[in-house]
Amino acid sequence: MANASTSTMSEVESTLQRIHKHPGVLGIIIAQNEGKGTRWIPTDEENPVIKQREAYSTYCSAVAQQARSAVRDLDPLDDLKFMRIRTKKVEIMIAPEKEYTIICIQDPTQAK
Amino acid sequence: MSEVEDLIKKIANQRGVTGCMVFNNQGIIIRTTLEQSLTIHYAALITQLCNHTKNTVKKLDDGDDLTFIRLRTTKNEILVAPGFSRIFSSHLSSLSDRDYILVVIQVPVV
Repeated sequence: MANASTSTMSEVESTLQRIHKHPGVLGIIIAQNEGKGTRWIPTDEENPVIKQREAYSTYCSAVAQQARSAVRDLDPLDDLKFMRIRTKKVEIMIAPEKEYTIICIQDPTQAK
Repeated sequence: MSEVEDLIKKIANQRGVTGCMVFNNQGIIIRTTLEQSLTIHYAALITQLCNHTKNTVKKLDDGDDLTFIRLRTTKNEILVAPGFSRIFSSHLSSLSDRDYILVVIQVPVV
């Protein structure tokens, strides 16, 4: 059992690292329990996105929750799978799941 | 005005597009290709979501501004472009001080 869970963890780690290596990605935050951030990449505190990780996880989870209610209100059988917020400077990608929400911040102008 | 109409028709005729709507930030419908009751429903929910997202972006970074929202659901994709008036204010001069929201619903075609 322990082996299965450790191999899953390293798969998760390698997926997160792979996403983070994409050009332009400023940070990945995994939010849990309505906005309490639990994991973030990169781990260095100097990164401006990571400095604000609590704010990102709280606000982005709230927006995703509202978007999800809007979608379900329009069609009760439908559900939000993914949300992209494009701003002047960055693109915030939010993937809400049952137990957690993955938030990725990317600067698309850096991406090739 | 006819340029606006042409553009909306062009978008609505794209492959996969179910509907195209324009409303202002008060939720008042300007143009739509879907039926009225559904559009009213969309207008109420999307304007609220747009305002909330705009405020969130400002809270996270004061110098930043919302330009686009994409909602991918299990059945379709909702594209929201707030700030329509910046492009068409010359045609809608009487209401140019207000922002508009363009919403397109499509079934993503891979």
